[in-house]
Amino acid sequence: MNRLYQWFDERVSLSAFIEFIKHKEVPKHRHSVWYYFGGVTLFLFIVQVFSGILLLFYYRPGADTAFESIKFLMTKVQFGWLIRSIHSWSANLMILAAFIHMFSVYLTKAYRKPREITWITGMLLFFMALAFGFSGYLLPWNELAFFATKVGTDIAGSVPLIGKPLLVLLRGGDNVTGATLSRFFGFHVALFPAIFTVLLGIHLFLVQIQGMSTPLNPKEDKKYDSMPFFPNFVLRDLLLWLIVLNILAVLAVFFPWELGVKADLFASAPAGISPEWYFLFMFQVLKMLPSHVWFIEGEVLGIVLFGIAGALWTVVPFLDKKSSRGQQSRFFTYVGIFAIIFIIVFTIVGWLAS
Amino acid sequence: MFIAAALLLFSEPSFGQRVDECLDCHLSLDTPQAIKFKFDVHRKKGLSCADCHGGNKRSDDMDVAMSKSAGFLGVPKTNEISERCGKCHNDEEKMRSYGYTGPTGQYDNLLASVHGEGSTTAGENIAQCTTCHGAHGVRKVSDPKSPVSPLNVVGTCARCHDDPGYMRQYNPSLPTDQLSKYRTSVHGLLHAKKDPKVATCVSCHTAHTIKPPDDATSSIYAENIPTTCGRCHSDPEYMASYHIPTDQVEQYRKSVHGIALLEKHDASAPTCNDCHGNHGAFPPGVESISNVCGTCHALNAELFRKSPHKKVFDERNLPECETCHGNHDIQPATIEMISVEKGGLCARCHSSSSNPKGYKAALAMRSLLDSLVSSYANAERLLDVAEQKGMEVEDERFALRDVNQVRLQARTAVHAFNLAKFHETVDKGLKIAEDTKAAGRAAIDEFYFRRWGLAVATLIITFLVIVLFLYIKKIERKPNTT
Amino acid sequence: MDNQSSPNGTKRDFLKYALSGGILAWLAAIFYPILAYLNPPKVTGAQVTSVKVGKIGDFENDSGTIFRFGNQPGILIKTKDGEFKAFSATCTHLDCTVQYRQDMGLIWCACHNGRYDLSGRNIAGPPPRPLEAYNVIIKNDEILVTKS
Repeated sequence: MNRLYQWFDERVSLSAFIEFIKHKEVPKHRHSVWYYFGGVTLFLFIVQVFSGILLLFYYRPGADTAFESIKFLMTKVQFGWLIRSIHSWSANLMILAAFIHMFSVYLTKAYRKPREITWITGMLLFFMALAFGFSGYLLPWNELAFFATKVGTDIAGSVPLIGKPLLVLLRGGDNVTGATLSRFFGFHVALFPAIFTVLLGIHLFLVQIQGMSTPLNPKEDKKYDSMPFFPNFVLRDLLLWLIVLNILAVLAVFFPWELGVKADLFASAPAGISPEWYFLFMFQVLKMLPSHVWFIEGEVLGIVLFGIAGALWTVVPFLDKKSSRGQQSRFFTYVGIFAIIFIIVFTIVGWLAS
Repeated sequence: MFIAAALLLFSEPSFGQRVDECLDCHLSLDTPQAIKFKFDVHRKKGLSCADCHGGNKRSDDMDVAMSKSAGFLGVPKTNEISERCGKCHNDEEKMRSYGYTGPTGQYDNLLASVHGEGSTTAGENIAQCTTCHGAHGVRKVSDPKSPVSPLNVVGTCARCHDDPGYMRQYNPSLPTDQLSKYRTSVHGLLHAKKDPKVATCVSCHTAHTIKPPDDATSSIYAENIPTTCGRCHSDPEYMASYHIPTDQVEQYRKSVHGIALLEKHDASAPTCNDCHGNHGAFPPGVESISNVCGTCHALNAELFRKSPHKKVFDERNLPECETCHGNHDIQPATIEMISVEKGGLCARCHSSSSNPKGYKAALAMRSLLDSLVSSYANAERLLDVAEQKGMEVEDERFALRDVNQVRLQARTAVHAFNLAKFHETVDKGLKIAEDTKAAGRAAIDEFYFRRWGLAVATLIITFLVIVLFLYIKKIERKPNTT
Repeated sequence: MDNQSSPNGTKRDFLKYALSGGILAWLAAIFYPILAYLNPPKVTGAQVTSVKVGKIGDFENDSGTIFRFGNQPGILIKTKDGEFKAFSATCTHLDCTVQYRQDMGLIWCACHNGRYDLSGRNIAGPPPRPLEAYNVIIKNDEILVTKS
């Protein structure tokens, strides 16, 4: 055992890594609880990777086979129902955890210098997660997903200038067809995972070398208590992961994910078409906008505004100069709280409307 | 009523003595129309030639009487004829003023009927009033000399309808053998004996509102036929002299056929004429019943003809299908029909002491059918339970269809009255039902397996969580203990 | 920290055993479903709603074949002239499965002698409605039956 360790140590200097881990400390304070949500998101991502790989063993993309293969998986394959339900539930919980992680980081201003890159990669990861959700939703090729994708890509198509080419790029044609399914499958299992892995690597690497950010608190300029990262914090992380896993299992067994009916390209849209809950607030706002604001189409305006908001949110470390200097920046706190309330309110409105 | 009508007929000429120069003059000229008109019901009601032809009936000067200024119209042509009849016969008030109490609106009805359509002669309908009623010697329907009296109307209709060359112009596919068929029917035979009460063409087709059988408002549209036949056959008073029952229509309405036709509007269900014939209406004889039923229920009839019952039924002069199923009030066949209990169908001939072979076979068939039905119900219930628990049992439901198919086949197979063959049929279904039951149970077991699996997994994870929690507590207390 | 001798060593040992036991059980709980999942089920292949029934060469002229269409039976008929036709094989009378009768050149239901002609029309016996017709698409020499 020792020799093996030495063999590796000589080549990749394991001792340096162990030395680093040994001295890594995690601060303890009343906001420490938020530190765990990044870990939970990571755990759910790992679950996604494994359950996704397992699903790939039986999934057959294609308008003729996708729905049937999922049905087969859920009815004939042992534990197929479990794997699919886990994958679906875990996806939703992951987005939820990512939301919480993002807002906790935002409100504690953990994005401030020197963690700007961590924030930006985090935001990109978040957008990727949404893209994962959007592309994965279509893959079972059921009626709801088909129409949600139709509506979703339609919205993408009304982006000014690049809308039309974007729509064709996404759909693989002018309409949502089997070609769209192939494309989304490619995005979901090859392109997105590749990009996501790179971004996640940078994100985690930066978190490790920079350590945890402490809340901005200029008044009490005291040093926080801390605990060792390993094993204390890691074990707590594991503890929470196990609890999340348990929740996931219970959800998957008691609320198995429905398959619905197969998509029919020529059927009329059923009532209650709505996107996944994490798109609902945007969907609802776009629906509620008047058809024309001034001379711009309401929907286009909405998309542009959401785009600008998302971009500003991503570059917030560069906008919020105050917190980088170690000062309180109440304005950005209010913006964050407004964003949370906005999302919650319109998600509820959208949920009630559908 | 007939006597009253006859009295009226003979008494009428006595008060028809009014000024009618047209008739007087034409009679003196021996004009055939005028001679006929002497006996016309219209004349008896005080009408004159001028009432149809126009002109002045009071003038004996031909030039005055038949001048345009006096409104003379001449001989009416084509549709003008019926229009002129309609002027009075469509006007209820006017008709009542002549003391007439019968129906009016015949002209409208004629226009709506098949005869109101355009004929091959341009601008003219197929039939005018005069086509059937005649022109100048029009008599009451109750007058035996009328061409449309019950005893004459058959011949009147046949003038055209028995003529293939004529009928071909209008409807080449319409048969022209109605009259000869009618002559063979019960109605026709009585008609030949001069029975005026018996059904003639107009009894079923109506006199003026004649419509094709595919017209839903027609008296001979499939769904209307029971009512049409019932007009006479359900009237005990009318039918009294024939000494036959009058509850056929009532029974039919409650039968499987009647419900299929009248309530479910299944046009393939038989109505009166499908079994009795229409123009050749006759009750099917004992020996022909299985042929009549067999036109639709072919398999059952075929199996029955090969069955041991065939010979016995023939010997005892029992009508084949009717003996068990009845005639007008045929009820949906049920498994309960196969019964040797008191009052059961089979028990009528078979008991443990007399004809015991059939008794035993009936018992065995019944128990086979019962077990098939209960297996099906059990299997279905198991699948329902599995489905309620969210399990997917579509394949099993598919298999279960075959059991239902076997059940239906078994119902037919009964008619062979052959236990060994029946066994073969039913066993197939029993096997499938058993397999489905097993699959349903497996699906329910799977459901509990999932719940228990979750319980075990949760227990393991919870245990691990607790242990991990204690472990963390342990290592974090370490700095104090050392 | 392993070689630390603590006063309550038995409790420490118990925790260690419990932890490793728990982890083993946990691994079993994770891997059992995964291994079972990877074991392919007996019935292979997913069922398809637009069905590939077979190759043109598999069917003789003047024959009928029952195939599975979703959870309903379908019947594929190759006429004497070699034309393909497909219908729902569920008799419209009482849901029996119909068959092709060479001797009659018709679709026939064994339950009550219902007959349909080769365009699915009910022509004799009790069936109240025609059979539902499916589309037959021939791609290369593969026969594909779809519902319109």
